[in-house]
Amino acid sequence: MKKFLLTLSSAAVLLSACGGNGSGNEEAGGGEGGDLEEQVVIGDDIEGATEFTFWNFQELHSQFFEDAVTRWNEENPDRPITLVAETYPYDQMHNNLLLSLQSGSGAPDFADIEISQFANFLQGQPQLEPLNDVVEPELDNMVTSRFEIYAKDGEYYGMDYHVGATVMFYNEEIMNEAGVDIDSIETWDDYIEAGKQVVENTEAVMTTVESDDHFTFWPLISQRGSDYFDADGNVIFDNETNVDTLQFIHDLVYEHEIAILAPGGLHHAEEYYGFMNDGGAASLMMPMWYMGRFLDYMGDLDGKMQIRPLPTWEEGGNRSAGMGGTGTVITNQTEDPELAKEFLAFAKLTEEGNIKLWEILGFDPPRHDVWDTEEMRADNRFFQYFHDDIFDILLDINDEINDLNITEQTPNAQQEINSTVMHSVLREQSKTPEEALSDAAEAVRSRMTD
Amino acid sequence: MMEKKKVVKEKTISVLLIVLFSIVALISLFPVIALVVAALSPASDLMRIGLTSQLFFSSWDFQNFEAIFGSEGTRYWRWYVNSLIISGILIILSLFFSSMVGYALALYDFKGKRFIFVLVLLILMIPFEILMLPLFRMMMSFQLIDSYFAVMLPLIVAPVAVFFFRQYSLGLPKELMESARVDGCTEFGIFFKVMAPLMLPSFAAMAILQGLSSWNNFLWPLLVLRSNDMFTLPVGLATLLTPYGNNYQILFAGSVLSIVPIIILFLFFQRFFIAGLTSGGVKG
Amino acid sequence: MPTSIPTNKNAATVVVKRKRRFNILYSKKAAPYIFVSPFILSFLILSLYPFISAVNMSFQRVLPGQVEYIGTANYSRVFNPTFYTALQNTTIYVIFTVIILTLLPMVFAIFLNHRLMKFTNFFRASIFIPALTSVIVAGTIFRMIFGDSEAAFANQVLQFIGLNPVEWRYNAWSAMFLMVFLASWRWMGVNILYFLAALQNVNNDLYEAADIDGANAWQKFKNVTFPAIKPVVIFLTTITMINGFRMFEESFVFFETSSPGNIGLTVVGYIYQEGIQRNDMGFGAAVGIVLLGIIFVISVIQLYATGAFKKDD
Repeated sequence: MKKFLLTLSSAAVLLSACGGNGSGNEEAGGGEGGDLEEQVVIGDDIEGATEFTFWNFQELHSQFFEDAVTRWNEENPDRPITLVAETYPYDQMHNNLLLSLQSGSGAPDFADIEISQFANFLQGQPQLEPLNDVVEPELDNMVTSRFEIYAKDGEYYGMDYHVGATVMFYNEEIMNEAGVDIDSIETWDDYIEAGKQVVENTEAVMTTVESDDHFTFWPLISQRGSDYFDADGNVIFDNETNVDTLQFIHDLVYEHEIAILAPGGLHHAEEYYGFMNDGGAASLMMPMWYMGRFLDYMGDLDGKMQIRPLPTWEEGGNRSAGMGGTGTVITNQTEDPELAKEFLAFAKLTEEGNIKLWEILGFDPPRHDVWDTEEMRADNRFFQYFHDDIFDILLDINDEINDLNITEQTPNAQQEINSTVMHSVLREQSKTPEEALSDAAEAVRSRMTD
Repeated sequence: MMEKKKVVKEKTISVLLIVLFSIVALISLFPVIALVVAALSPASDLMRIGLTSQLFFSSWDFQNFEAIFGSEGTRYWRWYVNSLIISGILIILSLFFSSMVGYALALYDFKGKRFIFVLVLLILMIPFEILMLPLFRMMMSFQLIDSYFAVMLPLIVAPVAVFFFRQYSLGLPKELMESARVDGCTEFGIFFKVMAPLMLPSFAAMAILQGLSSWNNFLWPLLVLRSNDMFTLPVGLATLLTPYGNNYQILFAGSVLSIVPIIILFLFFQRFFIAGLTSGGVKG
Repeated sequence: MPTSIPTNKNAATVVVKRKRRFNILYSKKAAPYIFVSPFILSFLILSLYPFISAVNMSFQRVLPGQVEYIGTANYSRVFNPTFYTALQNTTIYVIFTVIILTLLPMVFAIFLNHRLMKFTNFFRASIFIPALTSVIVAGTIFRMIFGDSEAAFANQVLQFIGLNPVEWRYNAWSAMFLMVFLASWRWMGVNILYFLAALQNVNNDLYEAADIDGANAWQKFKNVTFPAIKPVVIFLTTITMINGFRMFEESFVFFETSSPGNIGLTVVGYIYQEGIQRNDMGFGAAVGIVLLGIIFVISVIQLYATGAFKKDD
């Protein structure tokens, strides 16, 4: 018995020693393993550098931090840092982060948390570092709503990458073939008319709508001043505006027949990239940050795409909506929170950092006092793929963006919208928009009562 | 005349059976063949339009395999090694412990034997997934998350294997134990030197089944493994299915290569496999 | 050896001690307990403790840094439409897999065992090969074969025989078809082996006797073959049912963790979604306990129905 226990326990020691924790292993494998794009090690050549790990779900974000670390190390040779950036699948990264934070070990120093998941991390006592002392001094220069969405009880926990202004991407080649001048499209009615011409005169459809995600529904209701929740956190997604908007989306597909459901169900699916790249649709409504996807996954559309504000619901209505978002956080498991905060502020809050957000990622940065600077107008790959007046459009529509109300229930609302509402209304057509939305609203309300 | 009629009838049945099983075998083998074809085809096209029949006739290349054996494959081979280590240790440990338990339950009379056997059956009936959340919390509190040990622990004593070894041992000659005792063997000596060698076919069968289940285990490792460097093959390969990545080359070639160790294990033990399964499997 | 009469007390203890160690190594009484101790330990640590802890958790609200008892609130929330969807999907999956994975292997095994069958080994091996793949690997290739586009293989076949292409991952029926097909494809060969093994036990004399009595094929099956393979039938229906109720991977590989209209949501998937993704472990545990109750009831009914309790071993 004793012998058995001894064997078992020594085996345990041996094995768990092989395991170790996340950051330790990355250090070991870092140097050579960095050539795979999922893991990027930045600044590992500097001796005595403080090592930080960073988890994200979008490898493009690693590129941004790669640049930030290089600049930081140039400007702070006395306090160099090494950053190990790891990219994981969306679900897995959020789950792992949540569980690591709950278990008190294994979490990275920095992590990206997507807006619709953020509320999960604010439950109970957030296991994240409050960023107030670096955020508050800069808040006047920022689009403050981008910080409110990541806050709880007056503490700011996340720094976003962008404002997320939703725009319309037009494939000008198809629009020209259809004989439509994209600048003549001002309202959604115009858009539908244009769509009918596209369908009539070309092989393509006017647009695609997401049946498994919310990037068609949420921007449209936000554009009309509605949301999932009101400012007090009450569920409102069965209100009249939302029902009407969902009906509108449904009609684009089934009544006007100018749209189809996005191949693969969402605009981030490989099937969709292939479809769009082959000229399958004439336009696409997505936030500005989607530009990077065009560059990376839809090379054949280079030079063909034009960005325009969204059509309006009525004359003088909003021409955009703030959509999506990813907050970079510092976890409470970091060994040097002060340095981490300083670095994150350097990367995300400074003027230069915000200019880099544009230059590297093609994002509309949250710091509004850089929007009209020289650097934002300098030629770059986004201007080459699209056109060079992107920022005029952005400046033009930036005060037409409504705030989003993010609550603890946002992930639940999101889940209902993605997996039930869109599917039953748009794909199966088994429920009317009103039925689907009120069922979903009920489901979320029932969670709120406990 | 009657004879001839019978021969014709038997020929027809024989042909019909072969046709039927050719279809069944085709359905069984087609996805495996398709996997190989996929690994030899351009990966991003596959993700965009799926596997087309044209791919079976178009020119194949080894780009995906070049990628996996090149620098891009570093991570993949790390998963491979993790899986090999975990499965290897698990096969040895679970065979060792489970066979002891099954053997004792079959060949000894002791108080509580029946009770323990009922427990084995009971655990066999309880899906592991129901206990997964508390087990997971337990791993967290022991700081075992992201270790090989956490992956292996729930599988070390497998009730299926215990049950199987017990059934198999029931058929072993008890007299041998007696004569070994007379020769002055310890009870452990009897097991390791005399009885275990007789159980070899069942060890082979269980090596395959336990090897399969640990090599292909997914949900539990998905929970307890955190860092990319610790992933096992199924968990790692599943990460490549994400729409945000761009590693489909590794996904398809890696899927093909991931089956290799299991095939080797199977070929190695195959001779005993059916014999082991037969005698241990199900006796009521 | 000359015996010294005044016994040294120390020496006596040595003898006793020696005898005890001696005993443990040689004792027929102690040995089985040592042999089964790994199981007892694993039962206590990996089954009993987690089970108690699961029951306990199901009455709790578990948040980082805060754990509070909330009575039966988790249980009263379990029976919601999403859970019913998950349970319905799982039940349909169980029914299909139990029928397919018991009936077909039985028929195939009887055919393979038929005296007129040729190339038995080749066919048996071919059908077994899928068992060597993992759900993730097999599912990946199934996803490619059953791609949504019209150009994907399965849709090409459908169009060839004059049917409309199907968006496999977006209809409730086709999603279920994919999951059941994947499981059946992987397990068919293994289950055939079980039946083939049992068929070796059938006494050939009985067939001859039946032939003399003029029995037809069905009568022979009913009176000779089936009694011999009945234990396998009971074993496989039980195992397949339990595997069906714990199904997660077959759904994950097609839909990851969220499927359109929850057409791929299973009960274990729901536990994962709520317990891990939403970080509501208490609620996840409650769903688990409910699932356990369901499995328990069905097992008891099934075992009674098949008469497994009558023989009692």
